[in-house]
Amino acid sequence: MTDLLSSSDRLVTILDRLVGMSKSDYYNPYEVFDWPESLPEHQYWMSPELMSTYGTEAAGELSEAQLWAISKWESINFYSLNVHGIRELIVEIIQRIHTDEFRASSEYFHHMIGEENEHMWFFATFCLKYGDKIYPNTAFQLDIESAGPAAHFLVFARLLLFEEIVDHFNSRMGTDDRLHETIKQVNHIHHQDESRHVAFGRQIVSVLHADLRARLSVAELADLETYLKRYLRRSVESLVSPAVFRDAGIPDPYALRRRILADPAHGEYQAKILKRSMRFLLNEGILTDDVLPGPA
Amino acid sequence: MSGGDVKDPVTVVIDFLLAKRPDFEEIPRDLDLIENRVLDSLGFVNFLYLLEELTGREIPMVDVAPEDFRTIDAIEARFLR
Repeated sequence: MTDLLSSSDRLVTILDRLVGMSKSDYYNPYEVFDWPESLPEHQYWMSPELMSTYGTEAAGELSEAQLWAISKWESINFYSLNVHGIRELIVEIIQRIHTDEFRASSEYFHHMIGEENEHMWFFATFCLKYGDKIYPNTAFQLDIESAGPAAHFLVFARLLLFEEIVDHFNSRMGTDDRLHETIKQVNHIHHQDESRHVAFGRQIVSVLHADLRARLSVAELADLETYLKRYLRRSVESLVSPAVFRDAGIPDPYALRRRILADPAHGEYQAKILKRSMRFLLNEGILTDDVLPGPA
Repeated sequence: MSGGDVKDPVTVVIDFLLAKRPDFEEIPRDLDLIENRVLDSLGFVNFLYLLEELTGREIPMVDVAPEDFRTIDAIEARFLR
């Protein structure tokens, strides 16, 4: 696909615009945040509607103090997932920058790598300062390595969907006045930067999938669809963590996770988080329906 | 995992994997779970949580390798004894 990205006038135009915006919007993240010594424990650290427990039967059996504790640790888990997701993103972009295939996007990649490095720093800082930990990465490479024709597409699709899921939370928590100012600030700033990354992600995923449609069989395209649906499902499930519930003092964290995943409210939670991504994937013909598989 | 009969942990693991892959009638103890895609990256975390619950302890990711999950025998030897 040596000239694939360059051949898309629309992508090239967008890349130019995004590079310009990255320059004009540049800020120093190491000075922009207020980091108080601690954050108040007796309040929500996440918008209650964004907590995995929201609307479930199990939540009705929890006290407000327990929900506050869950919101604290669930937010630390959310930022930890960001740290690990950004690590994967940076590694994949570094693998591609200034290669022939990605000549058209390499200038933009420099800005993206720099911005993502800064995002990783402020998410990690939040976790370490207010949770004294970054939750370990539970992603584990078990698949047989494949460098097939869909490799680039799958990488950029995963990165885009990860960013869109994160942005569902950032865009809401960044303006939620029930949350502490530092929490709002972290989410608001990330939302601003990610709008550029999502715009790029959608374009490159669209171009790469159009290329694959011309080259892959119907069965191979269906395999990609199945993979992406499982990826979406797994991504939302990763927000429901037994380690979070354990840290929040819940006696049987695995049982609570099972109850939440089995609750009809979790289906609504998942649908809300994925709504924007599903619409994009369906419009692009990347998915042929919006039915996700059972638990990952 | 929810009440009822008390199963041995290996049986719980096999039942869990069979539920994920109903196209398998059985899972021999030496079946390569990774090669046959009974276990894969996307399904791994739920399997990890099952093992944690069965063993009653967290399993640090830095301590495990794909070979620990290659077969039922390997899983038993590494986590369930």
